[in-house]
Amino acid sequence: MNSTIVEKILKEIEHYAPAHEGEHVGRVTAVGDGVVAIDGLSKAVMSEIIAFEETKDKKLAHAMEAQEVIYGLILNLEEDGVRAAVLGDTARVSEGMTVKSTGKILSVPSGEELLGRVVNALGEPIDAKGPFKNVTMMSVEREAYGVIDRKSVSVPMATGIKSIDAMIPIGRGQRELIIGDRSTGKTTVAIDTIINQRNEPAEKRPICIYVAIGQKESKTARIVAQLRAERALEYTIIVDAPASAPAALQFLAPFAGVAMGEYFMDKGRDVLIIYDDLSKQAVAYRELSLLLRRPPGREAYPGDIFYLHSRLLERAARLSDAKGGGSITALPIIETQDGDVSGYIPTNVISITDGQIFLISELFNKGIRPAIDVGISVSRVGSSAQTKGMKAVAGTLKLELAQFRELEAFMQFAQDLDKATADRIASGQRMVEVLKQKNGAPMPVEMQVAVLFAAQKQLFADVPVARVTETEAKLVAFLDGQASGVLKEIKTSGALSDDLKAKLAKVFEEFRLAHTELFAAK
Amino acid sequence: MENAYAQVLWRLIQAGKTPHDAVIALRAVLVTDGREVLLPRIGKAFERIARREMAKSRITLSIAREKDEHHAKAEAKNALEKLGLSDKDIHVQIDEDLIGGWRLEGGEYLVDESYRKHLLSIYNRSTNE
Repeated sequence: MNSTIVEKILKEIEHYAPAHEGEHVGRVTAVGDGVVAIDGLSKAVMSEIIAFEETKDKKLAHAMEAQEVIYGLILNLEEDGVRAAVLGDTARVSEGMTVKSTGKILSVPSGEELLGRVVNALGEPIDAKGPFKNVTMMSVEREAYGVIDRKSVSVPMATGIKSIDAMIPIGRGQRELIIGDRSTGKTTVAIDTIINQRNEPAEKRPICIYVAIGQKESKTARIVAQLRAERALEYTIIVDAPASAPAALQFLAPFAGVAMGEYFMDKGRDVLIIYDDLSKQAVAYRELSLLLRRPPGREAYPGDIFYLHSRLLERAARLSDAKGGGSITALPIIETQDGDVSGYIPTNVISITDGQIFLISELFNKGIRPAIDVGISVSRVGSSAQTKGMKAVAGTLKLELAQFRELEAFMQFAQDLDKATADRIASGQRMVEVLKQKNGAPMPVEMQVAVLFAAQKQLFADVPVARVTETEAKLVAFLDGQASGVLKEIKTSGALSDDLKAKLAKVFEEFRLAHTELFAAK
Repeated sequence: MENAYAQVLWRLIQAGKTPHDAVIALRAVLVTDGREVLLPRIGKAFERIARREMAKSRITLSIAREKDEHHAKAEAKNALEKLGLSDKDIHVQIDEDLIGGWRLEGGEYLVDESYRKHLLSIYNRSTNE
């Protein structure tokens, strides 16, 4: 033992003042699958944290070697005892073990120190970067702000994805569901949105929180690496409750994430939170509820499964100026089975959120990515947050694409098409190509406006469909290099004035002359 | 189901009914309801309740050495008074792992004044800084 430790121990002994106080305790009567039944603790309250006493019947030397204290969360208050979820390794809890009441409601740390860090559902760091020093504890369960404290959504939350920002715009404080089958790019949309926030000025940039629920550790590690490489981790907190974590932690993770976000919202900051995904949280909650012997309902989910998601998503809000004007924008993700959006959990979450982005396998397999079905995707409040510039170029886009999809289906049976129909189909095919976007490459709004304006002005009409994506990429590079001033003007004004339109038209003409090979053959 | 019946039986006895009368009354209800077959299971559930309730009222004082008993009992008496518990039936047991001091468990309370707890607390605070 080195001298520093000895000094510390001596100092501790000198200042030691034992508290001769009785602790409120109970005794474990049954343990199984992360849930314990406890006799006693009659004064415990719902969601209280309890501590399991592992050191009893152990010699001092063994007690000193013991790992950190195991905590539990009270979830059921019963007539003759309580039932609690173990927030750690259940194997360390045994029958007869003494359980102490802590008198504390579950809370997690939050603050600037958490930015760039990976934490578990209890807010404990899991990235080997050391403990937090200066944090504020935030209650995991908190009532959402009421009507008086809120104001309507009017500031855009740019995702950097053309098809979303143009046709399904999201505003700060909105709750927009991302829904689709497995492997349709749901997480990619969410991660691209986080990456795109680097295009926002630092003072307006939202704090991003990515909550991974029931995901593979490898997937989360890949996301962390991607965010780090894109310099997005510095304004992001990752809350990880992997598939290997107990069901209780998977159920708690989204609440922990939003509690961390509320710290920033209360300080007037904007927050973007991704719940990836709430279907897995619902499954974890079902598991926990069945183990807690709560009566099962439809699909064996407990009766309060709707309330689980509604009370979580209601915490997303845009606060009034009196409350600081902060916001939490929530992008929950739901995984569907075989495209069935009429399932229990999908319909619940659809009804809670302010719109949904549907991603479908058919488009994904055709190579149309992001595979968003714009026909059935909606944003109920975001359009009021769209910039004037975007509104000007995207006004009729959704209708045109929906018409194209109908004509496309009809085209399979028709032999000869009249010119108007053929033109509309050709235009639709090109628009689909323009809206394609690689993952990890979000586009700033001003660039999106310029590209969509080019499409509106039929710049791609003379380009073969197969070369539209290439042309668009070259146009983006050209605009970046030759028209950065115009882009800056669009960004600062947020509108597309006649003057800017004329300037862009001129740039497009220059682009056409510089890339005649693209426009040569139709 | 048997737990509910066992609870009723326990409460009847707590309310002053003799165990014999309580069982007769319960049996009559079970026969009327056609649930007489539950009786053995109710008996077992009742046993569990009785064991649990008795454990609640039992007070255990653990000490490291026999010679500490007198001093520990005096201190424990104060602690029990504070918690509003009776010091009539204190069961004393020796637990050498405590090193010294005493540990009192009774009702839903625990007062740990053992040297092991204090030493562990000092160790944890010194090493966690």
